[in-house]
Amino acid sequence: MELEVIKGAIALIGYGLGAVGPGIGIGIVVGNAITAMARQPEMAGQVRTTMFLGIAFTEALALIGFVLFFIA
Amino acid sequence: MGGGGCLAGQGKEPRLDRLILASECDVKNELICAPANVNDLFVAHGDWFHIGDFAFNRTTFLILLAAVVSIALLYFGLRRERLVPTKFETAIEGLVTFVRKDVAVDIIGPEGVRYAPYLLALFIFILVGNLFGITPLINYPITSRMALPVFMSIITYLIFVVVGFAKNGFHFVSDIVWPKSVPIGLRPLVGLIEFVSTFFLRPLTLAVRLFANLVAGHLMLTLLLGSGVIFVLAVPEVGLKSLVGVAWFGFGLGIYLFEMVVAVLQAYIFTLLSAVYIQLSVHPQH
Repeated sequence: MELEVIKGAIALIGYGLGAVGPGIGIGIVVGNAITAMARQPEMAGQVRTTMFLGIAFTEALALIGFVLFFIA
Repeated sequence: MGGGGCLAGQGKEPRLDRLILASECDVKNELICAPANVNDLFVAHGDWFHIGDFAFNRTTFLILLAAVVSIALLYFGLRRERLVPTKFETAIEGLVTFVRKDVAVDIIGPEGVRYAPYLLALFIFILVGNLFGITPLINYPITSRMALPVFMSIITYLIFVVVGFAKNGFHFVSDIVWPKSVPIGLRPLVGLIEFVSTFFLRPLTLAVRLFANLVAGHLMLTLLLGSGVIFVLAVPEVGLKSLVGVAWFGFGLGIYLFEMVVAVLQAYIFTLLSAVYIQLSVHPQH
């Protein structure tokens, strides 16, 4: 097989592995945010802002994986 | 590829020549059109004119257009104060109030008003740039070129570093490298992580988040909608098999709706994170 094809396949697997952690993390963040909003609807605005922040920070690893996939 | 120019050769649809996918799509053997090189989808083909080393092409034009549209929105939206504003003016006022109150003041605090113009400019420019990706006839999110996110993230970086030094002096760096609230044995480790995260990962992820989301969105839209059109138009040539294009096109329309959400959300997140980073420099204790 060509080296390029193998490299692409490995990069693809790497991105897949890199996406697992952030996937679980975002699930936890959003799930807990929903719980918080359900318990205290008057805080929903603040919880939503914090939720987006949490998502943005958690997402970082998946994004780095995505970029490395194209660089590799 | 084998079916190169299969559609261009028919001469029925001259505009399809300009679809990069169409020229290299093998409709007979493949189930979806994949470009040989992803970069082709993000490069403007052909420069319009040159000014010295500076080439002016479609991307450059769209960036200028986004700037003009952003300025025009604000100018015509806030040109005069009316007792009863029109719908357009109300919308723009709502946008400005949202960035000023819900982002700048709520995150940074009362001093946030100083940074509100920057955040508003960021928000509107990124929003317009993102929405170019789903605007018919433009179909190209300018923020999917790394240059723009990097440029905006460098400005945010400069602002929060300069503000941090101006407000806290040398303590800005020393509190990050040697955090007082951590047990002394862990301080070098936590300090190192915090230092790398603050000064390298923050600007990097800020730029990459916007870039990667828009690249992924543009890729999905091009592949699905492009394949859909090409396959459906190839039905007379290939037969029933290429009706799979209908499924691609339908899926693409779903992604299109999703991209509307992504465009607004990413503009919001970029602005929000810029505000948070500035806030961490203004009040480093929290």
